[in-house]
Amino acid sequence: MAPEHQQVLDTFSANAQATTAVVTEAPNMAAALQYVVDVCENRPAAELLADEDVEKGPNGPNGVPTRVQRIIAAPDLDDADFEQLSGICAEKGFSCIRQGMRKHLAGIEVGVTKAVLGIAASGTCMVDSDNEDARLAGMVSEVHILLLKKSEVYPDLPSVAQKVRERMNARPATYTTFITGPSRTADIERVAAVGVHGPLELHIILLED
Amino acid sequence: MHEAPKNLSEYRKEIDKALDDNFLRRTLDTFAVAYRANREAIFKEVDEKALIKQIADAKDDACKHMDELYEQFRAEAEKRGVHVYRAADAKEANEIIARIAKENDVKKIVKSKSMTAEEIQLNPYLEKEGFIVDETDLGEWIIQLRHEGPSHMVMPAIHLSRYQVADDFTKVTGVKQDTDVQRLVKVARVQLRRKFLAADMGVSGCNFAVAECGAVSTVTNEGNARMVTTVPRVHVAIAGLDKLVPTIDVALTALQVLPRNATAQRLTSYVTFIAGATECGSASDGKKSMHVVFLDNGRSEIAKDPLFSQIFRCVRCGACANVCPVFRLVGGHKMGYIYIGAIGLILTYFFHGKDIAKTLCQNCVGCESCKNICAGGIDLPRLIREIRARLVDEKGDSVGMLVSSVLKNRKMFHNLLKFAKFAQKPVTGGAPFIRHLPEFLLGKHGFKALPAIANESFRDRWPRIAPRIDKPKFKVAIFGGCAQDFIYPEQLEACVKILAAKGVAVDYPMEQSCCGLPLEMLGQRKASLQVAEQNINAFDAGAYDAIITLCASCASHLKHVYPQLTENMGDLHAKAQAFADKVMDFSSFVHDVLGLKPEDFNNSGEKVTYHASCHLCRGLHVKEAPRELIADAATYVPCAEEEVCCGFGGSYSAKFPEISGQLLENKLKNVAETGATRLVVDCPGCVMQLRGGAEKKKMNLKVSHMAELLAEQLKK
Ligand code: SF4
Repeated sequence: MAPEHQQVLDTFSANAQATTAVVTEAPNMAAALQYVVDVCENRPAAELLADEDVEKGPNGPNGVPTRVQRIIAAPDLDDADFEQLSGICAEKGFSCIRQGMRKHLAGIEVGVTKAVLGIAASGTCMVDSDNEDARLAGMVSEVHILLLKKSEVYPDLPSVAQKVRERMNARPATYTTFITGPSRTADIERVAAVGVHGPLELHIILLED
Repeated sequence: MHEAPKNLSEYRKEIDKALDDNFLRRTLDTFAVAYRANREAIFKEVDEKALIKQIADAKDDACKHMDELYEQFRAEAEKRGVHVYRAADAKEANEIIARIAKENDVKKIVKSKSMTAEEIQLNPYLEKEGFIVDETDLGEWIIQLRHEGPSHMVMPAIHLSRYQVADDFTKVTGVKQDTDVQRLVKVARVQLRRKFLAADMGVSGCNFAVAECGAVSTVTNEGNARMVTTVPRVHVAIAGLDKLVPTIDVALTALQVLPRNATAQRLTSYVTFIAGATECGSASDGKKSMHVVFLDNGRSEIAKDPLFSQIFRCVRCGACANVCPVFRLVGGHKMGYIYIGAIGLILTYFFHGKDIAKTLCQNCVGCESCKNICAGGIDLPRLIREIRARLVDEKGDSVGMLVSSVLKNRKMFHNLLKFAKFAQKPVTGGAPFIRHLPEFLLGKHGFKALPAIANESFRDRWPRIAPRIDKPKFKVAIFGGCAQDFIYPEQLEACVKILAAKGVAVDYPMEQSCCGLPLEMLGQRKASLQVAEQNINAFDAGAYDAIITLCASCASHLKHVYPQLTENMGDLHAKAQAFADKVMDFSSFVHDVLGLKPEDFNNSGEKVTYHASCHLCRGLHVKEAPRELIADAATYVPCAEEEVCCGFGGSYSAKFPEISGQLLENKLKNVAETGATRLVVDCPGCVMQLRGGAEKKKMNLKVSHMAELLAEQLKK
């Protein structure tokens, strides 16, 4: 890799971490998918913020029941990657889903989706969420994990304008989001708090091409 | 929304209440200080000025092509399955949105934050039509529960404490809630998730409406706008016509400034661009029913105004409130109607009418803090003055008229000042402070001692003291300004002493008069122009190397406002510009032009601190010269919040003595903490305010003009 690009990547990681995002690297997709499953395994079960017709575990910290059957949603992974993820999930007893997110809007453990590109100046990932399931997976999961190719990290917002334009014109209807850190607020006494609506944590896995 | 103040006395009563709100005061104080530091740090990474210029140019251009951009947006959005509407006013916009809801059989509506929706009072309208409307931005939801309006455009509930929020959440959930902020946020997480799931329609705002691809964008930290625009089957975005931009590039440029200015973030957590009706699992045909309602409400008219069209550069970052010393004291409910802060005063006039705006828009101290940080480079203080002038034209103002009739007649004004000198004799008893000066100039001030009019004005002393210089290095003229000519002539004398010692020939043209700033602040445009013309003609600008003034406010007014006032006036404008080009503040002249150095002074070693006058540090961007000069002549000790307004603001301190007094109080507290025995200022207005305050509080503090300090320590 060119040293200049390494610098861009370093800036990206530093700025993403400044938003409390967790940035990690994976040598290949298999390692990335293993990371996803590990994250799911190492955290408490997701809280059911609304009613859902499923088996319920003891109440979580916010006084609502928790999931018994853990869920990892990966709506926009390629077929082969999804197969692989499903395989590891099956070993752990997690359910791995690609669609039907609307049935689980009460909240799931992990959503993993692809980032189209990254922006170093702010530690931002741009995601293509035309696919509604992919969009919801990034909103109602307690941990949102983004897969970002190292080669697709650019210096700043103006440097991606043309790419954004092309993306928006590629299909008749598009929904594009720039994500910079987890859902946050400072609306009460300016005290910073994460997870007011969406993910409590954001993880970014930088992938070698 | 809240009640608009009907008149000044009622408004002042409300302001008094706000000043007594200790929680609000503490919160806004901490915020103001933290914001300033965070903002500065986060802008280091980008070229702030260049970006602001880019935004201003792009948005000005968009404003010129508003109608074309609207048509382009509509064509592109319709191609993508979106319904686009254009509402002439608030009523029509509300009707359109209610109709969309009815036609789609909607019962429950969730909303993400939109100032435009606040502008048209959408929620009450929809509720009246029988819909259930829930705000989903945490701050908006809290104030909705309390039936209040936002007190800040970005942090709508900044005026509330965790205890108040806990009470509200206890009420709405029926369960006693903890006051821990993290817990409270999670209460909202649970409650609002349910509302998203139950809603049929989502209403969002729109930060940028991108014409080239018919995209609307939302910018949030919470991610509620993504939920609002995704979960329900119907989505209505509401956008002012001013939100139209031609390209993605413009939006991306503005996004480098908006979050930095709003919350000192590099980028907000979620920025979305929605171009077209995307797939939607809850819609019967699997497609979102998507609508974009553009609101005119006077915008297309304002867009044609050569001066006011710049208000459409606003990206609603809220920064003009964050840096406003008045906002910091009284909060957003007293510093706006629906829109808050400096831009709030202006938008209120245009969107909600002069009756609501007339009192509010007096509440600007003119410190220029907002102008310096505005994401769109809007000249906010000028526009506020301009609105005052319009209000006076439309409604008249008896006090202002009186002042104006006095000030525009130089002889009458100067005689009046001389007469005041005699009138005050019995009360001063020779002391340098008196209780009353002509009220039209200074008003009632319990919080500071007021100075006496000098026994002999500077203009009367001049023939006696005018120095004669052989082979002068420079030739300058002094613009005295009322305060120094009649109250503090010794400050001008100190200046003359330094100039003469350094071989500068000095003139004092006798036909000069008040600079006119007090008239501008009162909205007396005609008289303000008359005195400007008088002054321009009094000085033969070509004959001098510089026109020096020791008053930062006069300097900034002469330099920046004279050319503006005379715009499109041919010859007069050219003369005004030539005059303005020569105007220079005292410190810059002796520091930059004369090049005074430590060797020129006997350093007294006295601990001296500094107050950076608004019009010097922001109006003229003079920052280092005064501080270096103090260090040349004494020991300079920096003061906390050195560049924050002292509250003088000319006639402002008469209109809003409570606010002015509080600003002074804060300033003197910071000064006291430096341990300095002397405070130096570069403006007689600030001297008047600060000396009066220090005297009233019996502080061991000498307040001097810069010229006085330097003249005292100048080597013979
Ligand atoms: S006027 Fe300027 S500073 Fe104020 S909200 Fe608008 S863009 Fe921000």
